[in-house]
Amino acid sequence: MIWIGRLVLGGIFVYAGFSKLLLPNAHLWPMFVLKFSISMNISSFAQQVESYKMISPEASQLVAHTLPFVEIVLGLLVLIGWRLRIWATAITVILVGFLAVVTRAYLLHMDINCGCFGTPEKLTGMTVVRDGAFTALALLMTIFAFMEARKPHPWSTPEKA
Amino acid sequence: MNRRRILAGILTAALLGFFALFLLPLHKTSESVVPSAQPSAQTPPEPGKIDSPTESEAPLIPAPVIVAKAASRPPVPQSAAGLPDIDPRKAFGSKNAPVAMEVFSDFQCPACKTLFTTTNRRLMDDYVTSGKVYLIHRDFPLPIHAYSRVAARYARAAAQLGKVEPVEQALFQNQEKWEQNGDVDGTVAAVLSPAETAKVRALVKGGTLDPLIDKDYALGQTYNVNQTPTTVFHCKGQTYPFAGIMTYDILKQFLEQLLSQK
Repeated sequence: MIWIGRLVLGGIFVYAGFSKLLLPNAHLWPMFVLKFSISMNISSFAQQVESYKMISPEASQLVAHTLPFVEIVLGLLVLIGWRLRIWATAITVILVGFLAVVTRAYLLHMDINCGCFGTPEKLTGMTVVRDGAFTALALLMTIFAFMEARKPHPWSTPEKA
Repeated sequence: MNRRRILAGILTAALLGFFALFLLPLHKTSESVVPSAQPSAQTPPEPGKIDSPTESEAPLIPAPVIVAKAASRPPVPQSAAGLPDIDPRKAFGSKNAPVAMEVFSDFQCPACKTLFTTTNRRLMDDYVTSGKVYLIHRDFPLPIHAYSRVAARYARAAAQLGKVEPVEQALFQNQEKWEQNGDVDGTVAAVLSPAETAKVRALVKGGTLDPLIDKDYALGQTYNVNQTPTTVFHCKGQTYPFAGIMTYDILKQFLEQLLSQK
């Protein structure tokens, strides 16, 4: 379960972060065009965050400029598996937050893009179900990570007297 | 043990990175499947009449396109003069400007409103009037928006009277109102004289504007436009399509770089 969670959630977080930076505009060269692409992608993501009407435009800008990088770093940390309990907990907390926000928007019948990945994707019931599944997986991964940590390490089992 | 895990993690991340990079071009290709144009044959609404959402409601999930795949990308123009189907009444600046910007926009899209209200005026003042940028407005009414085609018709009609600027401004600034009640006519009438309003209504009723809107839409499909706003920059034989919104400062930096290119 831990391995599945690490691969799936780590991969999704890395992809989600990259896609927010490199999609829908992915002109990689020359450098000023790449810079403009990333700036536009972040601006569009900020607009999507703002469309949830939960935080101010300034806070949306802050989220848009930080969340993709946080997702990439967290995804990599979970894939690596270093201090898994901490990062799995962080991912779970973030996913619970996403689930709450998406569910609220769905219940309010908001006609918006979910902003989950780089390209526009309409927020539907399926988005809520998908986020719920990811949250459940993250929760299980975190629980298993804590359970694993409680087991004695095979190399450090006490010698028989 | 820890080292092995770290190595495995790095390898997995690298593989995923390559996979993501590989996905980008695939993703780009799949974007060419854009919503089909709304049927242009639909009868224009009665002037002053409010469209009921049930009548004109577009499907939530747009139907797959039939013609987009067949359409080929237009030849890369060396200057704005080489761009196809430019309505001079919906274009601003000099045709000989070093940079041409085609903005594919939908009057009912909130991001288009943001782009228009935050960037357009300053762009006009700093780059268009000085002859550095030729700005072309293109209609791309998305089928998911019930009134965007109606609004595009009114803006086109106003353009024929040389009143495109006040009408576009009114449509974007009052977007939240008319998208609720469908009163595009009232919004446009508020910024025109009664005589102009009557002419605009006659043009909208005439049904001659839909083919022009469809032409813009088809052109957008050739650029793989699948969301609004999308801005296509043309400079020195290069074409750069960008989807989404931009702040004026970001746009300014980009335009300066484009203009300084040799």
